[in-house]
Amino acid sequence: MRYWLWFWTVSLVIAGTSFAAITVVVTLRGFADLREMLKRLLQQKDRES
Amino acid sequence: MNFTILDWAIVSGYLVVSLAVGLLGKKYIGNVTHYLVAGRELGTYIGIATLAATEIGTITFMYNAELGYKYGFSAFAAALISGFVMIIIGRTGLVISRLRQLKLMTVPEFFEVKYSRGLRLVTGVLVALGGILNMGVFLKIEGEFLTIVSGINAKYLIAVMTVILVLELLYTVLGGMVAVVITDFIQYVLLSVATILVSVYAVHHAGWANIIHKVSVTMGAPGFNPIANPKFGVTFIVWQILLWFSIHTCWQTTAMRMFSTKSPETSKRVMTWTGFIFLGRGMLPMLWGIAALTLFGVGALEKGVPLPVVNGVTLAPIDAMPAMLASMLGPGVKGIVIAGMLAATMSVNSSYLLGWSAVISQDVILPTRQVMGKPPLSTRGQIWVNRLANLFVGLFLMFWGLYYTPPGAIYLYLNITGTIFLAGAFVCVVGGLYWKRVNTTGGYLAMLMGAAGAIIPFFFLHWSENVTGFAAFGLAATGLVVGSLIGSPTPTNKQDPSSLVSATRTP
Repeated sequence: MRYWLWFWTVSLVIAGTSFAAITVVVTLRGFADLREMLKRLLQQKDRES
Repeated sequence: MNFTILDWAIVSGYLVVSLAVGLLGKKYIGNVTHYLVAGRELGTYIGIATLAATEIGTITFMYNAELGYKYGFSAFAAALISGFVMIIIGRTGLVISRLRQLKLMTVPEFFEVKYSRGLRLVTGVLVALGGILNMGVFLKIEGEFLTIVSGINAKYLIAVMTVILVLELLYTVLGGMVAVVITDFIQYVLLSVATILVSVYAVHHAGWANIIHKVSVTMGAPGFNPIANPKFGVTFIVWQILLWFSIHTCWQTTAMRMFSTKSPETSKRVMTWTGFIFLGRGMLPMLWGIAALTLFGVGALEKGVPLPVVNGVTLAPIDAMPAMLASMLGPGVKGIVIAGMLAATMSVNSSYLLGWSAVISQDVILPTRQVMGKPPLSTRGQIWVNRLANLFVGLFLMFWGLYYTPPGAIYLYLNITGTIFLAGAFVCVVGGLYWKRVNTTGGYLAMLMGAAGAIIPFFFLHWSENVTGFAAFGLAATGLVVGSLIGSPTPTNKQDPSSLVSATRTP
């Protein structure tokens, strides 16, 4: 039981930390990605019309 | 009522912004590819945001918290498997990379490319059936969560469900995948902030030492060791590995994100990083459930675990987590958390509405028209068929959600309804991509035996979820192998995956 508790505690710390870190990175860099996607969609739409 | 004016202002502000931004998506829709796969223009970061937002909802928080409440730390095994399998798929590109090369829009579309139009139709029906039944319980559970945390009278549950659904339908029907991706980004940020906030509050209020003590006293070793826990064990772990491999590769809403990425390489990066998010997606809400057990688990024993008692009222285990949030969060924070949970709810529901309605329109209605000899629909016509399918799915969900209550833990119900098509679809997709001998007879047998292996044992024979899962995957694999060996060989132009790429017609 002690081994399992240690294992789950480490797993939880890794899970929580990576969740928070990825949230920060995606929040900061996702907006530029989104703008690029919308720009290219408009270009695609213009080419077709 | 647990809400202050500040909380209402935060939640209303979120809803207005989300709806307005979602409606913007309509102006970017020029053809079906834009509507269903955002023109295949998703970059890595926005891809991670939309995939994570799609697969993290209030329903996810609720069923994971329920697992944590009932099974303690042992439940973490399910979360660990889901995350690790996703990372492995992302690193290797297993299935997703090849499917992305084929420029598909739905999973059943692969069945026409590799097998036959008839099998695409059968798969489309099974995927839509399993997917909609799966999503059928979302609204009710989400409505329960929101009414408990906000303190709205339970008699308004139907009204709450209807408002949520109408808002989601509005922007999904009009803006398709583009609207869903834009709103997913905002919703991802909000739901992640809420997840982190709730985790900190839950551990702070319950106390880490108290949490460990409560699980030790209540459950003993099975509360920590998943192999010793009678609900889990080795069979559960093996089934979960199989199930998560199939979910991450063939689940329509996940696959649609992979189909929407700029390239196969982008799809691999998105899958890998979202795998790390999936570890927290499972473990953090499970931790909330264990914290709720620590704070409120003082009622009569049900299967060895004390029921939650809040303000003298005994609740079901699944309601313990929202009751904990209602009691521990202060004004302002509660508004942020509820806005985050609403964001989670709307991102999942809109993506699922789009995913299942895409299958109904692209894989059931349009192939049926072709079989009947009707001329192909115009781009505008196809988008309208998709929008009508969206409305149909939305209406069905309202009625199914109101009248059906699943037996047992929600997590396991969701697993089984998904298995109805996942067992056959996964076996057929893997066989179709990596085994030259596979043929249409094997495909039909796999889909039908996989579905029968999920439906008959669970709904009629009342077997356990683990055994049902094994039966479904085992029967599907047997069907594919036996059918492929006795049926006619596959035409040579369908044997090589690289030739399939040139055979696909979607732009």
